[in-house]
This record gives sequence, structure tokens and C-alpha cells, in this order.
Amino acid sequence: MDPKLERILPRVQKPARYTGGEYNAVVKDKSEVELRYALCFPDTYEIGMSNLGIRILYGLINEMPGVWCERAFAPWGDMEEEMRAHQIPLYGLESGDPIRAFDLVGFSLGYEMAYTNVLNMLDLAGIPIRAADRDETMPLIVAGGTCAYNPEPLAPFLDVFVLGEGEDVTREMLELFQTGKREGWSRDAYLRRAVQEIPGLYVPSLYQASYHEDGTLASITHDPIAPDRVVKRVVQNLDKSYFPVKTIIPSTEIVHDRVMLEVFRGCIRGCRFCQAGYAYRPVRARSKDLLVRQGVEACQDSGYQEITLSSLSTSDYRPLTGLCDGLLDYCEPRSISLSLPSLRADNFSMSLMQRLQHVRRSGLTFAPEAGTQRLRDAINKNVTEEDLLTSCKTAFSGGWTAVKLYFMLGLPTETDEDVLGIAELADKVYRCWRENAANRARGVRITVSTSYFVPKPHTPFQWEPQISEEEYRRRVGLLREALRGKKSVVYNWHDPDTSRLEAVFARGDRRVADVIEHAWRNGAKMDSWSEYFSLDRWLAAFEACGVDPNFYANRERSREELFPWSVTSVGVRDQFLWHEREQARKSAVTPDCRKQCTGCGADKLYTEGKCDE
Amino acid sequence: MSDQRLLFSKSGRACYISHLDLMRTFQRAFLRAGVSIKHTEGFNPHAFVSIALPLAVGYSSGCELLDFVLLDGGSKEEVPEQLNRVLPEGIFVQKCYDGEQPVKKLAWVDWTVALEYDKGVPEGAASALKELLGRDSLVIQKKSKKAKRGFTEVDIIPSVRSFQVTEGEKNVLLRAVLSAQNPGLNPELILTAFRQACPELAPDLVRCHRNEVLDGGGKVFR
Repeated sequence: MDPKLERILPRVQKPARYTGGEYNAVVKDKSEVELRYALCFPDTYEIGMSNLGIRILYGLINEMPGVWCERAFAPWGDMEEEMRAHQIPLYGLESGDPIRAFDLVGFSLGYEMAYTNVLNMLDLAGIPIRAADRDETMPLIVAGGTCAYNPEPLAPFLDVFVLGEGEDVTREMLELFQTGKREGWSRDAYLRRAVQEIPGLYVPSLYQASYHEDGTLASITHDPIAPDRVVKRVVQNLDKSYFPVKTIIPSTEIVHDRVMLEVFRGCIRGCRFCQAGYAYRPVRARSKDLLVRQGVEACQDSGYQEITLSSLSTSDYRPLTGLCDGLLDYCEPRSISLSLPSLRADNFSMSLMQRLQHVRRSGLTFAPEAGTQRLRDAINKNVTEEDLLTSCKTAFSGGWTAVKLYFMLGLPTETDEDVLGIAELADKVYRCWRENAANRARGVRITVSTSYFVPKPHTPFQWEPQISEEEYRRRVGLLREALRGKKSVVYNWHDPDTSRLEAVFARGDRRVADVIEHAWRNGAKMDSWSEYFSLDRWLAAFEACGVDPNFYANRERSREELFPWSVTSVGVRDQFLWHEREQARKSAVTPDCRKQCTGCGADKLYTEGKCDE
Repeated sequence: MSDQRLLFSKSGRACYISHLDLMRTFQRAFLRAGVSIKHTEGFNPHAFVSIALPLAVGYSSGCELLDFVLLDGGSKEEVPEQLNRVLPEGIFVQKCYDGEQPVKKLAWVDWTVALEYDKGVPEGAASALKELLGRDSLVIQKKSKKAKRGFTEVDIIPSVRSFQVTEGEKNVLLRAVLSAQNPGLNPELILTAFRQACPELAPDLVRCHRNEVLDGGGKVFR
């Protein structure tokens, strides 16, 4: 172990986050390694190690001969301070070597509030944050993940964005990089080859944006070798794609400390506010028998006592009952618990509940998202009050005593009636408990949580304004008042400040990059942590850069407006999104993909199979 | 069914695994290795393991003890190898045997404490440390959650059974047999006293290593 590190580790909190050496961490013989890749997650170890995408990429890159992938996470403030004071640059956890000397550095971008951590990690690594300031000795800086669908706010900092699912495209990129390294290509030569040979890569330096006087985008021009629109990549056969059955088991506790089984990708539902629902299309499932096998092997290899099924809407997995049976056959005799997040209120079943009850009974969470049927129709969340109450009835009579209900405030077309509808729904759930409780003496806890809606790119609400902060606070107040004095109901609402910034970054353009850099230079980092977040710092950064956050967050866009993210495509047609937006205005529902194909266009990406089959 | 005990060492990167995390690591390692051990009863059963004398984060040890109960069909002889295949780097099981003495009879710990000086050992460091531990009484303040003042005063000398100080080129080595429990003496407290008494001799780095655990009579405890 590095002697400098040895000195500082005793002084920092939870030092096991910074040492590596976990079970299944991959250590390769450097003399046999040609290419070194630093897989970075712009948040703490506990969060990054809980990310399934990181585990998939780590495993599949390390399966490549001659390539060694190591991990790096954002150190907590105490560790960062020590690292800077002792000149310890950001290092790969496996080897302890500075990642500045690696060939590639890749970031996973899952949420906008991690943007400053990307800059901070580059800086901690001793890598200039702007691509234009990096010479040939510096690693190639790559990013992927959901936020890459609007790459523009980070465009000046990164060399390449990888759009869509990383399994195939990462391998292709690295193979080409190996060729380039052997033949001594320059970074530019590599990027130019890559963009022509590998679909799914957005190289921001090949594109230029110009703006109208009113601040909207006038045009995006690009080098002729680059595509007008970079289309995301999807894995064609999930059963054949890499899945990390044998994966790192952290020696210290992480957020999701359990076996994660990915059941399917995509979602049949088409909720109009949900970026994942559009961005991860088309629907492709893993087969049940394979999942059971992977679940059993993952338990055996990890020693974990808990499995969770992961997808956007687990109860939509067709053979879910069979899958649970198969897993429980293994789990029950071994006291391994099975948990199923992302269940929908409309098809939550008694038989499923009883299966889970065998092992552990925890609280139930439902997300009606809106308080009235009209608004639920407008957002295409096809859950009815009856569905919810039926599910609650099942749960309460089965002995559950805690229900969490998630809603959003500020959804397009929302009125005060919709806000008050949330309180009414909570009340109905309470009455449902009184009528159906298995044991009334135990009481009930109904938690109502509201978040502040952020319109996202590539959704039907990408043209919509976010409501102002004052308006959000007024609606919170309205709901609070309506819930006052209600027995057994707890109300939590999301702090608006980070949601406002998210709205700016989500639909931001390249001018927002200056704001991010300015805020970071003035100390912004770990913005998703309340210990670090400072709204004032961000407001000062907007002011200093002459950028108006309301322009990005609170402005309604016209159909004609050119969007910064129009350089990327998730495979869904623009006309389809606009049509969905019009349907929302009419509170008209669109059937889910299983009832009827709506022709969104994403199925065209799935050349080797049929959507949702 | 009798209780089994593991003798294992902790070194390198594993030194930074906390006591609680280490218990979890062993619980999972037993499952990974396919070694059936007794589980706790109750609502949320988990593999029962108990590690004697929690080791502070950052310390290394060659003599950690973990008690568990091997279920029928398990073989003590095979356990070390089975576990070593699935443990993280730096944790190594040396032996698995029937634990005959109860952990409460574990009375002393034989420590090596290395005081490292990057620029060479300053004059008088070794003798100052010797002098300090040779006193009849050495009262220091110890953080305490219970005490109103936030600390209590303890005399550490009765907890020192024997010690020896040697000087190297870049370090001073303290070999000391200190009380293990009720109350145990963490060698860090000796360093606290040393830094207070001679701040100019404070080392750049301190490494603490448990060499051996001993019973009341000073014999190796197993």
C-alpha cells in the first residue's frame, strides 16, 4: 500500500472505501496489460458500488484480454482534503496507480447533480477539466449513462459521450483504441475513426452551436464525418449479453448491499413524465430460467442474503410468478430474502404478496404520481384509484401496516384540485386500512411524499416549463394544509433547490457548462448531498456567467424550437413525443405497448427481435 | 455441537475493514465457501459469528479469534482453506479448532507499536518513551460518552504488564504486553500520553500490530 495513503487513511471516515482489495476485485499483471481504463462514478463508493451499470461494465471490460479496468469514486470531503494536502492524485482502487496515467477515463452519468463531481474528480486526478486544455499525454475522457442523452452541459469537458447501453459499444471502442495505440494514432485521429466506425458515439468537439438573439438555438453544425443525430445503442439479446454473476463484494456496507437481478430493459407503460420510460425502449426481457440460474449463482458467489429484482416496472415481467417461485425454491430454505421494488398498484397480487411474505414483510410503496384520475390520465400513469385501493386492501388484510405513496407536484396541467386530490387519496387509503386491517391495534403509517417535477429531454414533456419555485411552495403549502390533522399520515416534500438546478441541467446547452465550471471553481461538489449543496453558490455562478436559469427551467418551448439534445436520439420519433404531449393536454391516455403498439419508433433499434416478446 | 474458533490474521488493505464490516464479511464468506454454520434465531436470521476484542481500524494483527458453530457435516481441517479462497485480500485464516477457553479468560495482548520518523529518529525519543512507561503512574484523559466533562481520567500504568523499547534507524519499536479487556488498553493511548509529554518527539506515523493474545498467566491464548 502507498505509504502516503497509509498515513491519511487512519484520519478519514470509513477508510475501507478507499483501499480496494475486496472479494472479486480484479487485479491483473501489469506486464500483460496493454490498455488501462478507469471506470469512474461521480459520487461516493457506497452509491457507485450500488450501481448495476458499473458492475456490468467493470466485469465485461475486465473480460477483454490486455485490458484492465479499475474503479474510482468521488472521495468524501475529509479524504479529498487529505489527498490534496498530501499530493495524492485520484487513483484506481485496484492498483493504487494515478488514473491520470491511464488510457481512458470513463464516467457514468446517472443524475445531473453529479456534474460538479465529474469536474472535481478530473481535477483531483490532475487532468485539465476542459478537453481543449488536454494534450496527448492525458487519458481520453468518456461518459455514458442517462444524462448523456443531453450531453451539452458537459460538452466542453468530455471527449466522447457513449449513448445507450454500454455492453457492445464499450467493447468496440476499446478494441479500436487498442488498434490505435499499437499504431500510434493521435487522440484526434482516434476520435475521427471512432465516430465513423462505431455507432452511438457523440464527439462534442465535432459539433458547433449558434444561438438566436432570444437565446434559443439557431443551428448545430458539424464536421461532415459526424452524424446529424447520434442514435443510442441497445443490446439485442439480453440472454446472451454479459451479466455480472461473479461481482465485487464490498468489505464495507454500501447502499444496495444485495444481489441485483436485471429482469428486463425498457418499459411498456409510456408514463409521459418518465425519461427512463422513453430512453430505455424497446422492451427486452431476460428469460425466466436464466434469471433463476443467475440469481442462484450470484447468491452462492456473493454470500448475500438478499436478492432484489431490478427493472422499471417489475410486475410487468410476464413470467414474474414463475421467476419468484424459482428463486424462492432456493432462497427460502436458506433464509435469503427476495424483494421486489417497482411494483405497480394495478397488478399487485395477493399470490405474489404471499410469496414474499414467506421471507420478510416490509413496507409497501406505490407511486400514483398524481392525485386525480384526470391528471393521472394526462401523464399516462394508467393506475386508477380503484387499482390502488384494491392493492392497499390486499396489503392491509395481509398484515402490512406501512404504505408509502409517491406523487409529483408541478406536472403539466396540474390544478389545485389535483393537488388536493392527493390528500383525498391518502384519506381513502387510511379508510381502506380501517376497514381491512388485519390488526387495527398495530396502527398504520401512510407516508405521502411529493417531488418537484423536472421536465426531461426525450419525453413528451420536453417542451413544458417547470413551475416556478414560488408556485411549487404554494402547492406544497396547500397540500400540507389539507393533510393537517390527518391521523397516521406523514407528509414529506422534496426540497425545491436541487430540482430547480436539475431542470436547468437536464435541458441545458453548452452555455450552462460555464456555470457548472464557475460553481465548481467556487467550491461546488457533491451537490446531491445537503452537507455540501449551496444554492447561493449556484445563483452566484449563473449571475457571473450571465446565464438565466429560468430560461432553461421555466420556459415553454415551441414545437419549432431546436433543442440542444437534438444531436442525440433514443430511437423514439419526435412526432410521437409531440403527439403524446397533445394527448396529455386532452388528458387522453395512450394504451401500454402490450395492449397496442403505438409506433413510437424504438422497435426499429431492435433488429434481432420483437419488442416485448 | 461444540463451538469452533478461527485464528486469523488481518493485514494490508484489510486493516481498514471495521469490526462490524469484518463480521459481515465473515458471515458472507462462510456462505460463499459453502460451510454450514449455526444461524441466529428470530425474525431475520443470520450466520452467528463473534470476533473477540474488536481491533481498531487501521491496526494489523496476527492473532484474531472468531467463534462460530460448525454444523454437522463440516470439517474443521478444511475450513481454513475453504474460507481463504473467498476472503478479501489481507484476511487469512490460519487455523480452525474447538475453542476450549472462554474469551473472557483472554487477559493480555502482546503488541508491537512502531513509531515511524521519516527524517530519522530524533534524539531521546526511545529513552523518553521508556521513561514515560517506567513511571509509577501515568494519568491521561480518555474520551467518554458517559462522563459529563466528555472525558475521564485513567491511569494506564496498571494496564501495562511489560514493555521493551528498541531503536531502529527510522523508527522506535515498542513491544508491550497490555491489558486486553475490562478495561483494555489501546496502545493509541500510550501514544496520546507520549505526544502530550514530548510533543517535539511526535512520530510521523504509528503502526500498531497485535502479535499475540495471552491468558492471565501470560501463556498464549487459543
